[in-house]
Amino acid sequence: MGSSSKRKKEKQKDFQKPKLKVGKTRAKPENFTDTSFKSKSIVLNQQSLHLNAPSSNSVFTHNLSLLTSKSDSQRRDSLAYLTTSIASRPVNSSLPQPVSVMLPSLLPLILDGNTNVRTQLLKLLRTLPRHDIEDHVAQLLPYIRAGMTHLAADIRVSAVEILSWMVEAAGEQVVSCPGGWIKTLNCFLSVLGWHTEESSKWSSNRASFGKSGSQGRPMVKVLGVLAEFLDAGIGQHDAGDDESPEDDGYSSLWPFPLSCTGQHMISDSSAPYAYLNLFGQPRDEEGEMYETREDRFRVFSNRFMPVIERGVKSAREEGGEMGRASSGVSKVLKEAISYGPGA
Amino acid sequence: MVKRKLGALEKVEADLPNLQHKIRRDPKSYIEDFRAQHYQYESHREIFMAAPSAATDTGIISLRELIDFISHVADAYPEILKDFPQQLIDMLMQHHLVLEPELREKLVGSLVLLKKKDLLDSATLLQTLFPILISTPSKTLRALLFQKILSELRTANTKTKNHKLNRTMQTVLFNLVSSDRTSSKALWAIKLVRELWKRQIWTDAKTVEIMKEASLSENEKVIIGGVRFFLGGDKEREEAEDESSDDDAVDVGRIKHQLGINKKTKKKARVAEKALTTHKKKEKKKNQPHALNFSALHLLHDPQGFADTLFTRHLQSSKAKLNLENKLVVLQLVSRLVGLHKLHIMPLYSYFQKFLTPRQPSVTSFLASLAQATHDLVPPDVLEPLVQKIANEFVSEASAGEVATAGMNAIREICVRQPLAMNETLLQDLVMYKKSKDKGVMMASKGLLSLYRDVGASMLKKRDRGKEASMGLRSGDKLAKRFGEQESGGIEGLELLEKWKEEERRKKRREMGLPSDGEDDEEDDEETNWAAWNVEDDEDSDDSGDWVNVQSDVEIDLSDSEDEGKDKNKAPPNKKAKQDDDTKKDAAADAESAFSKLATTKILTPADLAKLAELRAEAAVGAALPGSKSRHAQSTTRHSDDPLTAEEIEGLARLSAAKQTREERIAHAREGKLDRSEHKSKEAKRKERKEEQGKSTTNKEKARRKNFLMTIGKARSKNKRSLVETRAVLKAHHDRQKRGGKRGNLGN
Repeated sequence: MGSSSKRKKEKQKDFQKPKLKVGKTRAKPENFTDTSFKSKSIVLNQQSLHLNAPSSNSVFTHNLSLLTSKSDSQRRDSLAYLTTSIASRPVNSSLPQPVSVMLPSLLPLILDGNTNVRTQLLKLLRTLPRHDIEDHVAQLLPYIRAGMTHLAADIRVSAVEILSWMVEAAGEQVVSCPGGWIKTLNCFLSVLGWHTEESSKWSSNRASFGKSGSQGRPMVKVLGVLAEFLDAGIGQHDAGDDESPEDDGYSSLWPFPLSCTGQHMISDSSAPYAYLNLFGQPRDEEGEMYETREDRFRVFSNRFMPVIERGVKSAREEGGEMGRASSGVSKVLKEAISYGPGA
Repeated sequence: MVKRKLGALEKVEADLPNLQHKIRRDPKSYIEDFRAQHYQYESHREIFMAAPSAATDTGIISLRELIDFISHVADAYPEILKDFPQQLIDMLMQHHLVLEPELREKLVGSLVLLKKKDLLDSATLLQTLFPILISTPSKTLRALLFQKILSELRTANTKTKNHKLNRTMQTVLFNLVSSDRTSSKALWAIKLVRELWKRQIWTDAKTVEIMKEASLSENEKVIIGGVRFFLGGDKEREEAEDESSDDDAVDVGRIKHQLGINKKTKKKARVAEKALTTHKKKEKKKNQPHALNFSALHLLHDPQGFADTLFTRHLQSSKAKLNLENKLVVLQLVSRLVGLHKLHIMPLYSYFQKFLTPRQPSVTSFLASLAQATHDLVPPDVLEPLVQKIANEFVSEASAGEVATAGMNAIREICVRQPLAMNETLLQDLVMYKKSKDKGVMMASKGLLSLYRDVGASMLKKRDRGKEASMGLRSGDKLAKRFGEQESGGIEGLELLEKWKEEERRKKRREMGLPSDGEDDEEDDEETNWAAWNVEDDEDSDDSGDWVNVQSDVEIDLSDSEDEGKDKNKAPPNKKAKQDDDTKKDAAADAESAFSKLATTKILTPADLAKLAELRAEAAVGAALPGSKSRHAQSTTRHSDDPLTAEEIEGLARLSAAKQTREERIAHAREGKLDRSEHKSKEAKRKERKEEQGKSTTNKEKARRKNFLMTIGKARSKNKRSLVETRAVLKAHHDRQKRGGKRGNLGN
């Protein structure tokens, strides 16, 4: 009313254009913040100047440290560099860095968000010598399990791929390390969605949450890896292989008065007394080590047999690629059952 | 199960909050997804437990997020998550030193959340959090834990007292305080107890026992924490109570009014309903019986032992390394205990001896403590040298006015409590200062004089005694009390009640047209009394609610002329001046009989007691008014629990005009006047009030502020009116005014 003209003026004030004048600097906006500062000297923290080119070893270490970099491409490139330098090293020479040093920075990359990084990681892992991997399986498995149950479907798939490589490289260790048998099988069930009767039906929506597109190929892949895993765990081949050379070797090594001395010697595996669990956390049933096929088969038949059989059945009924892949699993199962709890 | 359609959101890269939201809605269908996430959590936990310190942020989902997610949906899958709380507890307990701060806070928050969802009991939660609170070096974590523990204890005690939990927690705190006396960890116990005491969650003797242990510790901070609790804890509690009672006070009438006028929306209805329920709840709370709250000093077991140990350990022993300020605080507590419980610590008085010089820093506090430590069972021969020393050191013609005032006030405070500590010559000497030019000294001296007129008039010179005291002496009922003599007990404020009843009776008789002094039939009175048995029932005595009548026209009663002695019975000062001489004499003579009359012949009904409390409050408020601020009133209204402060000892020294700046004087003059705003016209005040209430202006105001250009047309047309038109308009206006506006006032 009375103050309307005044209010109008006030309102207008907000939209007034600043007047520009020739030869003068532009007026600073109202919300201008002065960010300049003064310093007596500028210190560059990480500047190092060398005349000589860095040795290949130091470049390797440098690239290893770059694996925690924020940028995806940087991580991928570093991985690629590491892969080539490992692969192209002279035959029978040792690795530039021991596996135990490399693994801590490699492992988190299993859960990396970028697909390229994960594929590159798998390539790198494949170049590592098998006998080095065997000792670090227990370290690797938790990450792989975390990957298998990840929310993102892509990470699940690549974790399964890595597991496939590990079963191939060190199958015996994978299934017998602490938590390696029950926990990993649980993860398989959860990836396949076979935990409950209801969820294993073909009509139910399997990957109900998370990025889908995991209906066709990925499931087939998981089924294939499950078959490999079961084969490593309760297949009959390894038991048969082990026994005969043992008998031969020991009888020849230890002459007559000594018998079965080999049994009493310290085992040549890397951690012979790991099953005692002297220094770690107390383990529960799921985290326990199941070192022999007998143990594993007992656990399997108690806890997983019916579930997996049901799942395989429904997968077969689904037909197509899934059905074909499920036949691999059922074949392994059949063999294991026919072999029974073991000799 | 029907096949679900894939929503657009689900095709996006899945995130945990989204899943959490879906689980909330339909936990059964998403059990597979939850299980997957639980495995994920398990694997992450495994990774974490292998190297807790080197926990790097793994990939796009971290352990922290998983814990957050799982604890939010934990109530949906209790059987899968049986071990989850224990796992979190282990993680926190074992690794809280090396955990990254965010994860640590998340763990604490999740545990509290699980407690809220009843997956964890509060005892376990507290047993987890408290040890960490004590041991962690991180400040932020401590703050968080303290807050969580406090809120946990509060929520556990909201509906009913959780005695079991309280007892365990108190035992833990007690052990913490008493186990290691040199460590400062007990500070946490003190902080916690003090907070809970303030909020009236813990009000029992065990709580006080914890603080007692704390004040006997060997760490300086802990000692002071404990002692300060005893000195200030109760006051803090009262303040907190006052605050909570008068915050968010809702005006129900206003809300109802607004609800009728404003646009009706669901939100507004909800807000109004909420306000009404809180109001109702508050009313209910008001009517509930008040819980008895004893002050911490009264809840002490064995105050004598406590005071003895405090004194010997922290004050007397040469090993005590408290600084002066802290020593004073401890001394305050000891002297309050001595005064309140009438304890005997003989070395305490000789301890005071060396501090009683004007040069001693903060000597007024020492004086106050000494006065506080005096009670009527202290042998006079212990006190006499102290009084003598104060008189010698402080009170002389040569000493500064403030010093003399302080000394004299201290002597008076001592003598109020133990009149026998004074000897005749000293008293007569001190009374001479009533002619001093310094106002403070004069007032202090007069205070001493009026005190001894009451308690020991025979020690004064004849001309100082005053009329009443000399008459009392002659008749023989104003004898000085002997050592250890006890007064027979009474009910505080009973004479007020009696007076009130008398007045009511007179009023009633006057209404009935009878002479106001005559006797009326007792039965009628009796009947009304019994009818008013319940406080809630009688409306007429309760009509004023919580308001206390404050008389505005109180006569200033600072002068005490020689002939008019002040009677020291507990009549409120504002009424005293109005009484005529006869009633005064009567009251003085029948002091004991008055008590026996009311309390022994009648049963006090709850209504009577309520009125009694009201009258007592009224008298207290009246005494606090600036007009009646005589020394007398102050000493009578002070409750025995209230401490004596150094300011009171300093007394009127601050009145000495030369020592004050103008601002101080203005502040002093303003002191008693309750929040008086600046002077303004009535109209301006009214306008302000209306604006505050969000009301609009009057029509007149609107007309006055109307834009000139809008009125110009009418003004011009007015010029062109003919005489007849003008007359018609004026007449219409006149009629309208007479009627009272356009629509008229329907009442006429």
